[in-house]
Amino acid sequence: MMTDLSEKEGIRIGKENIEFRRLLMETPGAERIMLCYQCGVCTADCPVALRVKEFRPRRIARLAVLGQKERLLEGDTLWLCAGCYTCYERCPEKVRVSEIISALRKLALKEGIIHPTFKALMKSIAEMGYIYEIGDFQNEMREDEDLPQAPEPEVKEIEAIMRKTGFLDLVEGC
Amino acid sequence: MKFAFFVGCTTLARLWGYEIATRRTAEKLGVELVDMPGSGCCGTTYLETLDHITALAIAARNICIAEEMGLDIVTVCNGCTEVLTKANKELKKDPELREKVNEVLAEVGRRFEGTVEVKHILRMLKEDIGLEKIGEAVARPLKGLRVGAHYGCHLLKPSDVMMFDDPEVPTTLDELIDITGAESIQYPNKLECCTGPIMGVREDVTWAVGLEKVETVKKYADIMVTSCPFCYLTYERCQLVQESSPDVPVVHYPQLLGLALGIDYKELGFDNNRIDASAILEFMED
Repeated sequence: MMTDLSEKEGIRIGKENIEFRRLLMETPGAERIMLCYQCGVCTADCPVALRVKEFRPRRIARLAVLGQKERLLEGDTLWLCAGCYTCYERCPEKVRVSEIISALRKLALKEGIIHPTFKALMKSIAEMGYIYEIGDFQNEMREDEDLPQAPEPEVKEIEAIMRKTGFLDLVEGC
Repeated sequence: MKFAFFVGCTTLARLWGYEIATRRTAEKLGVELVDMPGSGCCGTTYLETLDHITALAIAARNICIAEEMGLDIVTVCNGCTEVLTKANKELKKDPELREKVNEVLAEVGRRFEGTVEVKHILRMLKEDIGLEKIGEAVARPLKGLRVGAHYGCHLLKPSDVMMFDDPEVPTTLDELIDITGAESIQYPNKLECCTGPIMGVREDVTWAVGLEKVETVKKYADIMVTSCPFCYLTYERCQLVQESSPDVPVVHYPQLLGLALGIDYKELGFDNNRIDASAILEFMED
C-alpha cells in the first residue's frame, strides 16, 4: 500500500529522487509530468480508484514529480491500472497518468520488479505463443464446434523476438 | 470482400460462440474471413506497458503475416485491435522506429512494410459494409428486444490512435444493435471500463465492477451485448461467481446480428454462452 502523504515526517526529496524523476521523464509517456497541477480528474473518473482506496492516480502523478521511487514501485499500485484510458482522454494537461504508469512499469521491470500475473502472462506468450494453452484439447473441442484448428503460432519466432530485445531475460530475472 | 481474420487468444481458446457467430455472420454478408497461418498472441495491452520495442515487434510479426496475404486485418477483441492498430500506425509513421523493429524482425526472417490496415469487426461492418446494406439483409427483426450495449475501452481509446467513433459519446454499437430491430437503450455509466485487465491482480474488484453494470443493465434491458471477449468474460463470470446470479444474458454482437440475418439460433454458438440467452427467441418475428 502506498504511504500516506500526510505522514508526520513528510517526504524528503534528495538527489536520488530528482535523478529518478529525470529517468522517468526520459521514458516515453512520462515526459509531461511537471505539467500536472493536481486537478484530480484522473482519480475522480478512474473505475478502479472508485473501488480501491489505495489506488489514487493523482497521487501517482504527484509522487512521480517528487521522484518517490520506492513509494511508486512497491506493492500492487502500478499493477492496478486497467488501462482504460479514461484519465488519458480527460487529462486537461495531457499528462496522462495511464502513460506515467506505463513508464513506471518499464522502470520497475529494469529493477527486477513485475507483478506475478504479468510475469506468468509474458512467459505464456514466449512458451506457447498465446496467453492460454491452445493445444490438442482445445482443437478437439473446436473441431466439435465445426471450427478450424487454431493457427500454430510459430513459438520459436515469438521467443526469439522476446529474447533479442532482452525483454525475456529481464522478465525471467524478476 | 476479403480480410485476414485475427481471432485472438481468448476467443480461440474458449469463446467459440463469438468465433462461430462471427464466421457465420460474415459469410452471410458475403465477407470472406481468411485464417492467418503462424499468427499468435497480439502481445497484449500488458506487454505495451512493459517494453515498447518488444510490444511493437510481437504485434508487427502478426501484421507481417497479413501483409504476406495481401489482406487487411479484421479483429474481434478490443485489446487486440488496440495493440495491432497502435503498432501498425506507429511503425507506418516513424521510419526510425520501423528500422529498429525491423532489425528485431530480421532475426525471424520478417519485415514490416506497412501495407495493411487493422480494424475491429464493428468498424468493418459500419465502414466497409455499411448500415444500409446490413439493414437490407435483416430477415428477422428482433422487435421489442431491449439491449444494453457495452463498448469496452480499446475499441475507442486512446482516441488519438484509434480514430474511431467518439470516445465520450460513441454510437456505432448502438446503431448496429438498432439495425437488427432491437433497441439499444441508454443506461448510467454505459462507458465504464469492465476492469477485466486487473482480474489477475484484484479479482474482487473486477467482479464488483462487472456486477454493478450487469445489475444496472438489468433494470433497463433484456440482454447485454459486448464486442470484446475480455469484457464478455467479465460480465458473464461476475454473475456466475454470485450465489444468486442476476442471470442477465451476455451476447456477442455477431450472435445478435446473425439471428436478425436469419441464421438459426443453434448455428450461432449460443450453447457456449454460460448464461442462457434463449429468451431472445421470444422477440423474433417469423
